[in-house]
Amino acid sequence: MRTHNRKRAFIAIALIGLVMLSTLWAAGTQEQTKQEGPIEVTFWSLFTGGDGEFFDAMIDEFNRTHTDIVAKTDTVKFDNYYTKLTTALSAKNAPDVVVVHQSNLLGYVPRGVFLPLDDLLAKNNAPLDDFVAAPLEAVKYDGKTYALPLDVHALIMYYNTDLFAQAGITKVPQTYAEVIAAAQAVQAKTGAMGLAVDNTTATYKAYTLTRLFMSMLEQQGTSLLSADNTKANFNNAAGEQALKALIDMVQLYKTTPAGLDYDGAVNAFRMGKAAIHFNGVWATGSFEKQADLNFKAVGLPPMLGKPAAWSGSHTLAIPVQRTQDPAKLDAAITFILWMTEHGDMWAKAGHIPTRNSVYEKESFTSLPHRKDYADAASFAFAPPATPAWEEVYSTTSDMLEYAVANNQNVKTALQAMETKINSIIASY
Amino acid sequence: MAIPGNKDTRDGIIFALPFLLVYLVFMVFPLGFGLFISFFNWDILSSGAFVGWANYRRLFQDELFFSSLWHTVEFVLITTPVLMVLGFSMALLVTGNSPLRKVSEHVFFIPYILSMTVVGTLWAWLMQRDYGLLNQIVRQLGGESVGWLTNPKQAMWSVGIATYWWTAGFNMILFSAGIKQISKEIYESSQIDGANFLQTLFRITIPLVKPTAALCLILQVIASFNVFGQVYVMTGGGPHGRTRVLTQYIYEAGFRYFKMGYSAAMAYILFLIILVISVIQYVALGKERS
Repeated sequence: MRTHNRKRAFIAIALIGLVMLSTLWAAGTQEQTKQEGPIEVTFWSLFTGGDGEFFDAMIDEFNRTHTDIVAKTDTVKFDNYYTKLTTALSAKNAPDVVVVHQSNLLGYVPRGVFLPLDDLLAKNNAPLDDFVAAPLEAVKYDGKTYALPLDVHALIMYYNTDLFAQAGITKVPQTYAEVIAAAQAVQAKTGAMGLAVDNTTATYKAYTLTRLFMSMLEQQGTSLLSADNTKANFNNAAGEQALKALIDMVQLYKTTPAGLDYDGAVNAFRMGKAAIHFNGVWATGSFEKQADLNFKAVGLPPMLGKPAAWSGSHTLAIPVQRTQDPAKLDAAITFILWMTEHGDMWAKAGHIPTRNSVYEKESFTSLPHRKDYADAASFAFAPPATPAWEEVYSTTSDMLEYAVANNQNVKTALQAMETKINSIIASY
Repeated sequence: MAIPGNKDTRDGIIFALPFLLVYLVFMVFPLGFGLFISFFNWDILSSGAFVGWANYRRLFQDELFFSSLWHTVEFVLITTPVLMVLGFSMALLVTGNSPLRKVSEHVFFIPYILSMTVVGTLWAWLMQRDYGLLNQIVRQLGGESVGWLTNPKQAMWSVGIATYWWTAGFNMILFSAGIKQISKEIYESSQIDGANFLQTLFRITIPLVKPTAALCLILQVIASFNVFGQVYVMTGGGPHGRTRVLTQYIYEAGFRYFKMGYSAAMAYILFLIILVISVIQYVALGKERS
């Protein structure tokens, strides 16, 4: 009986060994055939839902029109995207091209994980003067370009044309006073919410308050942090005006309910129950799909001075690899340039293209709303380029939320924010 | 030897080896490495700088660390007693003679197999203040919308409610096993003596289920201290950071702000807190048994 068992064991081990060997051999063979075909550009994107569908359509179109390059994408669920990206970058096995928000890009760049692109762009005759100036400047660090901007998604104003008509409003509000007056008029006449601006974090963080705060500071000619990004710059008259404007919306003029979260604000506008809504351009898609909603989307009004609006930007960057393959790099640049050139396809998701040539394309101008707010790209400003930005952004958000919810004294609030922000920046 | 002809020690080691390897790589090594990192300033992407006890000194002066720790403790206090009582009550129902007991067992346990993101998203939508189902019902009944997740006084309790629904089933399983271990003879003799339901419950069931309750309490406290998912998905730590628990701050510090060393230091302090509390519980409750 013992020899019988031994024989069985031997056969089992031999079979397992055979399976393992054949798998290894198969894996080896696959790699060989790949090198003879088109160059593969691997890619991570963080777009899901509506954005994801439009993006995938662009990838398909790229692959259809390019026989020498194949773009392979792998969508990562947005919440885990930057965790996955950070780990891949530290292990130096990130894909060839990645989507990175401009505000996150400058957190990675000083750590040397993204390739400076200037030489590659020159080598491939990239039409850099076709790019809108502001978003292209925002991806530069120390004079070098670290990514190309795919889009600008700015904070804009949506307004319900039916409610405006019912309240007798004929002029699009521009100043803060006009915005409040319009909101109150609609509220009085129709009972709808005047100003749907989220001010409380529930499922989504209430970043809108910070975005408005930053925009209002820029509208007054100043910015959130000092020029060298080492100190807070908002504990002053401009900051007081901006914070007061945010608090008064809720506490004084009552145009916005307290405790309104992002979903509440978006849905109020979508169901036609709110007159004015401040949000990023990404909301356009879902509003368009709403059958009985008649609205217009325009750039954020220059409520406290000159036009200025917070905007984010999706950029395409090339991670540093262990060994750089020049053919792959050229393919990656071709891919990135093509994607930015076809901003009209991406604009279907509501985003603003970054190439001037796209603005003239009929496929772009024929899209509803997009051209109405496209000029926002020219007065968009980038968040401060400091590694402390994520923490500053998150903390400022919490403190603004608190100030608005509790009708905090403006001077006290700003003082507390300044102390906290300065200590955060100092810890980096 | 259990089976003649086999070498038990050798076989035992071989069977345990795969698990041991995974355990060493994914549990033991990170535990040690975490302690190691906590003495550095490290941003994952470049090499770290040794700073000694600086991270630990910093966290004792960080008000956000203390407020996050307090929010975690709040969560433990909100969930532990209720989950113990709920789990025990469910177990009573399920081990009793009610005709509903089979159905109840499934209804109570099924939420536990759902993932934490599913549970969080589901309850976040139910509790959405303006359009969620719960408030629609409240308004139908003539009430005012409740800021389940947007009212700072309410938010943690709302996460607690979702947690009760999600995890009470696990405690039910533990208590059911504990109740079933009680010898039938004791119940029979008490019935002969004329004990009613409440007397049986308080004089027999509860005292005899104490070892299980002790185990359940220890596990529950550890799990509650580690809470992350439901809070993060439902409230994002809001409103204005009111429900940010320590695990969320640890995650943000490490993966959003790239302060890995600081994050590791905070994680180690959390680990020590849970360890101390668990040991105290174990000793205190262990004494009762003997």
